[in-house]
Amino acid sequence: MANVNLVKERYIWRLPVRIYHWINAILVSILFLTGLYFASPLFSAPQGGEATWYHGMAWLRYIHLSSAYLFFANFIFRMYWALFGGDKYARFGGFKPWKFKWWGKPFKEQMASYLFLTSKEPHYMGHNPVAAIMYFIFVLCGSIIMIITGFALYSENNPGGFLAVLFGWVIPLVGSSYNLHSIHHLTAWLFPVFFITHIYAVVRHDIVDRTSVTSSMITGYKVELEE
Amino acid sequence: MKKIETFAGVFKARGVERRDFLKFCSLISVSLGLAPALVPRIVHAMEHKPRIPVLWLHGLECTCCTESFIRSSHPIAADMILNMISLDYDDTLNAAAGHQFEEIRKQIMEEYKGKYILAVEGNAPLKDNGVYCMVGGQSFTSMLKETAENAMAVISWGSCASFGCVQNAKPNPTGAVPIHKIIKNKPIVNVPGCPPIAEVMTGVITHLLTFGKLPELDRLNRPKAFYGTRIHDKCYRRPFFDAGMFVENFDDEGTRKGWCLYKMGCKGPTTYNSCSTIMWNEGTSFPIKSGHPCIGCSEPGFWDNGPFYTRLAEVPFVASDSGADKVGMYAVGAAAAGMAVHAVGTAIKKAKNDSDSNPTQEG
Ligand code: HEM
Ligand code: HEM
Ligand code: SF4
Ligand code: SF4
Repeated sequence: MANVNLVKERYIWRLPVRIYHWINAILVSILFLTGLYFASPLFSAPQGGEATWYHGMAWLRYIHLSSAYLFFANFIFRMYWALFGGDKYARFGGFKPWKFKWWGKPFKEQMASYLFLTSKEPHYMGHNPVAAIMYFIFVLCGSIIMIITGFALYSENNPGGFLAVLFGWVIPLVGSSYNLHSIHHLTAWLFPVFFITHIYAVVRHDIVDRTSVTSSMITGYKVELEE
Repeated sequence: MKKIETFAGVFKARGVERRDFLKFCSLISVSLGLAPALVPRIVHAMEHKPRIPVLWLHGLECTCCTESFIRSSHPIAADMILNMISLDYDDTLNAAAGHQFEEIRKQIMEEYKGKYILAVEGNAPLKDNGVYCMVGGQSFTSMLKETAENAMAVISWGSCASFGCVQNAKPNPTGAVPIHKIIKNKPIVNVPGCPPIAEVMTGVITHLLTFGKLPELDRLNRPKAFYGTRIHDKCYRRPFFDAGMFVENFDDEGTRKGWCLYKMGCKGPTTYNSCSTIMWNEGTSFPIKSGHPCIGCSEPGFWDNGPFYTRLAEVPFVASDSGADKVGMYAVGAAAAGMAVHAVGTAIKKAKNDSDSNPTQEG
């Protein structure tokens, strides 16, 4: 693998994917940090003065909730692109983890490689199957859970309102408002866990495969190599 | 004993002035969130509608609901219960006893078939055929089913009857379940709280009397008028929450200044009840007003939701002593450690691969 020649640059991540990716990365970070903070606020407002002068918590909630709407819109946008974009590297395509066949050779080979069971390093221009399943579990399912529980939490502010009609059923489903907070809070931790593995995997692939994958999410280009 | 057939009749017999009676009616209409135009309807119903007999059963409970009810802020409300409800059947307040008492229950069930209300305080243990709660030689569970048979509607008083409360907190040794798990074919209104606020209780009864049906219920079958919003959304300390001014200790400056109790574990943000509006003890105060965080007593499973003085301390469905942040931090730690180990593996593999291949070529 050390002897490689650059064959050509290939355009993989089209603009919608890159835009989604970075907006999502920024918003997830904001959502996680603000959420964690107002769940257990570390600092108090300065002693002295009137409560009406300060809006620390209210602002954080405002930031969390406005980011949440953008996050939701961005998510819908990516789903649209996956379903109707006709983009070879961004659609769901053959991604069918509920089918036994999907977990076949490509997945096993990639997994074996990650577990050092083989010295082969499979190459993919798009997502490899292990990466795909990670995105599916952590980002797709994670986002859906955060969106549903998040809007249900938000609907509590205005009982009987629009959001409560749409998402109010979640509370009896999970048992109580307390459980709802717990689920939203617990699921939030999927994202830092994903973040660590994701960054590690990207950097590692760059070092091992040298396909310039790290910058590919900015430029859109990956290099194709030949041994 | 001569029966008095309307509420107004009872009031009159007790020497309550009409003025007080009208005051009571408007108070109830306000607490139910009804338009002032509906007050005459309440008055009319109170004066003319035949009273609805209430059979009040006690299962596994502590009687705090009864205690709360008889302390309804309005003296008439207290009268209402003592004269209208307990007269028929209530283990705690009845004069009759023993078999004579059980006879009354059976008699009402026959006489007022489909017209009486079954009010239940406490819940029913299902384990070992319900031996953990026996009333007059009968298991409470079977008594409950029997009495519900001909009832017009069921009121589940308090968190016990509504959601289970302390009896079905983990590990729930007696297999206690809330009423709606046993009675499926009757309209049920949950009136949670440990205990529920007296005015809420009288409000529910008055609504039933006036309109002949249960008040509008939310998704957990609680009357919307009283359980529609969270404590947090109506809390007078909310400005301090929004400002981020918190009590950090029960003896600090913030306590004296009445700041928000969020960091003292206040469950107000996850609790639906009327404490922050109707308040307790004739509208005198409520826990937060007297400087104590809400413990979420009207919420399902509140005993299992961790210590009272820590917010979201436990994720109830994961394990005890499992704060979400603790679980999350372990997961992140494990991921980081895993990646670090993997990085070492990768380095070894790469070094091996590199030395296997042609060393003169770069890269
Ligand atoms: C919270 C932060 C992040 C989240 C939630 C996230 C999420 C994702 C998702 C969902 C994908 C799949 C893209 C798609 O098909 O739409 C992806 C791919 C990718 N991300 Fe991130 N990302 C984050 C941070 C980053 C950062 C900081 C980098 C920069 C090093 C990065 C680099 C990449 C690259 C290179 C890919 C393509 C990898 C592949 O072939 O599968 N990501 N990321
Ligand atoms: C990646 C996505 C998200 C993350 C990481 C995240 C994280 C968090 C965290 C950690 C909390 C604190 C929970 C608690 O302890 O009570 C929280 C609360 C909340 N989140 Fe999110 N969240 C996300 C998405 C959303 C979305 C899409 C919404 C939708 C509106 C939302 C709405 C809320 C609301 C309403 C609260 C409660 C605020 C309060 O208690 O005052 N979140 N979030
Ligand atoms: S004291 Fe409790 S209910 Fe009141 S604002 Fe603070 S957290 Fe909310
Ligand atoms: S403030 Fe909270 S804990 Fe206290 S009585 Fe009201 S709902 Fe129950």
